[in-house]
Amino acid sequence: MDANLSEEQVAFTEVAADLAADLAARWRRGRSPDTVDRCVPSPDDWRKLVDAGWLALRSDDDGTGIGTCVDVCLLVEQLGYHAVPAPVLGTLLLVEQLRLRGAPPEMVAPLVSGQVRMAPVLTPDLRSFALDTDAIAFDTAGATACVLAAATELRTYSMTGSATGADLTRQLASLDVAQVPTGTPLAVASEECEAAMAAFALTVVSADLLGVMRGAFDHALAHAKVREQFGVPIGSFQAIQHIAAECHVSIEATRSAVWYSAWTVDELSAHEALSAARTAKAFASSAAIEVVEACVQILGGIGITWESPAHVWQRRAHLDRMLFGDEYHQGRMLAAA
Amino acid sequence: MDYRDSTKVTEFRKELRAWIANYRHTHDIDFSPSDFDSVRRWNRDLAAAGYVATSFPVQYGGRGLEPIFDAIVNLELASASAPPPPPIAHYAHSIADFGSEELKQRLLPGMLNCTEPWCQGFSEPSAGSDLASLKTSGVIEGDTILVNGQKIWTSGAMWATWCLLLARTEPGEPRHRGLSMMVVDLSSPGIDRRPITLSTGSAEFAEVFFDGVEVPVSNLVGARGQGWAVAMHMLSFERGPADMGWTGRYRRALEGARARLAERVQAGEAEATQLERLVRAGINLQVLEWQVQRTLATRSLNPGVQGSIDKLLATRVEQELYRVLADLRGADLVIKPSEDFNAYLYSRAQSIYGGSQQIQRNLVAQRVLGLPRL
Repeated sequence: MDANLSEEQVAFTEVAADLAADLAARWRRGRSPDTVDRCVPSPDDWRKLVDAGWLALRSDDDGTGIGTCVDVCLLVEQLGYHAVPAPVLGTLLLVEQLRLRGAPPEMVAPLVSGQVRMAPVLTPDLRSFALDTDAIAFDTAGATACVLAAATELRTYSMTGSATGADLTRQLASLDVAQVPTGTPLAVASEECEAAMAAFALTVVSADLLGVMRGAFDHALAHAKVREQFGVPIGSFQAIQHIAAECHVSIEATRSAVWYSAWTVDELSAHEALSAARTAKAFASSAAIEVVEACVQILGGIGITWESPAHVWQRRAHLDRMLFGDEYHQGRMLAAA
Repeated sequence: MDYRDSTKVTEFRKELRAWIANYRHTHDIDFSPSDFDSVRRWNRDLAAAGYVATSFPVQYGGRGLEPIFDAIVNLELASASAPPPPPIAHYAHSIADFGSEELKQRLLPGMLNCTEPWCQGFSEPSAGSDLASLKTSGVIEGDTILVNGQKIWTSGAMWATWCLLLARTEPGEPRHRGLSMMVVDLSSPGIDRRPITLSTGSAEFAEVFFDGVEVPVSNLVGARGQGWAVAMHMLSFERGPADMGWTGRYRRALEGARARLAERVQAGEAEATQLERLVRAGINLQVLEWQVQRTLATRSLNPGVQGSIDKLLATRVEQELYRVLADLRGADLVIKPSEDFNAYLYSRAQSIYGGSQQIQRNLVAQRVLGLPRL
């Protein structure tokens, strides 16, 4: 058994981390909800992440074969770590959905090349990909349309009211159902395919949660090492150390879950992958909220202000937690399986 | 990254499954964990079949396999609803990694084939979490160490053959540097053992008194004054959830309860929400198993502070699991005596033994996260 990343994967992660940091650095949190930047990347930034191959990770257009789900998770962890305000996760989810449903290459190609930006469509409770128009489009920043993968065809809708909800770094939108959608017949629809899509989605969102936890925690830990009270760094107090140690345990456990789950997506049956992915998502969802809340506590007063970046991760964690179902939903699904 | 079984692992699993199936035809394996005679017989039989200390060198009675095989033994035993492997990896690693060649040859075979039980003499009445303040003395004169003092919370001391004893041999040295680790034959004159009954009712603890006990200097494990390093090495293994057979124990308890509960839910005798609660405890156990797999697959020689991380996770898992298992019994839990209530009581020990949860958190915070010591 080999639970290590390859040298290529380590190198890929480092490069992805640099670009993620670079993209996040140009986004301004502002001083309040009124002055926060929109989470729409500039054409230049979008070009950078397209050139880095981020959107094409799971596309087999160039004949070199697709990247592994582990690779995708390594990237997405960096998106969460830096709370990158760009619709990468949504695009990756849509591309995977289209690939698994057998969408025509001419529909996928412009997405992975970044020429066309489209968003996936989820049920209103965010628990699964939608099958009808009672739905919400996810990660819609800069997108011209969203894609509803119905039972027998793809329907492309325009959107209305694209805006951020609780999360400042990814947008949501409504489908413009007044317009007649463009339809494309689909080849593949099966239980197997549904399970594979869900396993991939749950796993990559868990990877985003892993990144979010780590990002918030590194920030809080750095604070604990320099912030002094009673004449010493607060990180020297066991009251802080014990909170921090448990955060670290949660992060390492989440990493074990994400890596295993990511590996199963490509290597085991869709059914086995889905079970692992539900387990990983359940764990990551509750662990991330606990860790981010602990980070706010370590940060103290600044941690509950707009001045601190803590709430950016906290907000992102809450959206991630609901995406494809929170820990309670996963528990029910696993109990019923 | 490849979590798939190698051919070697596949063969190993097949062979182990066949052994369990065969063994349960001729032996009762549903004994209680506090039925010590049955536990000892099981340990000996499992060792004789080659499933104890699989990762130890062949010349000392192991099989020379990679550390991940210890996790596989845990999982296979649990999925067959068999008892867990014996918790001896921490003793074995202390002797194997610090003992002289003579000690290894003399002691490891009896330890690894489970015919000679061991215990560890660390804690004292006034030295618990502050272990380095221990007072039991070992005065070295010529070839002999004269031991005087008292140990407490010594698991298995009542029936152990050997004790790994941490004592102060260099009284002039500062706390940590004044200690040595030694192997003591518990049948030596001057040793008095008194059982301590746990809250579960099981008498697995003991106090051990040393009154002028003579220990050969050749029984030192590591050099004089190196006792703290040996003790920390030993504790890092004692914190490994697969090294100690914990994951196997949890999985067995969970799967048994899940099967029983699913039947009751089906029959309308239990609510689906109870099953969901058990499933949530199972989610945490599954993540612990993945964490342990990753630890063992990447571990070289010494688990070090990784043991503390895994133990903190195991503590959460065990204490949640056994509380849920207890809750599933409803009022029956408090109306009649049950193994479930005892198992629940025993789960509270996980955050205390092998270094308390608070000590583990200190280690992770200071050694891994680099937070300053006050």
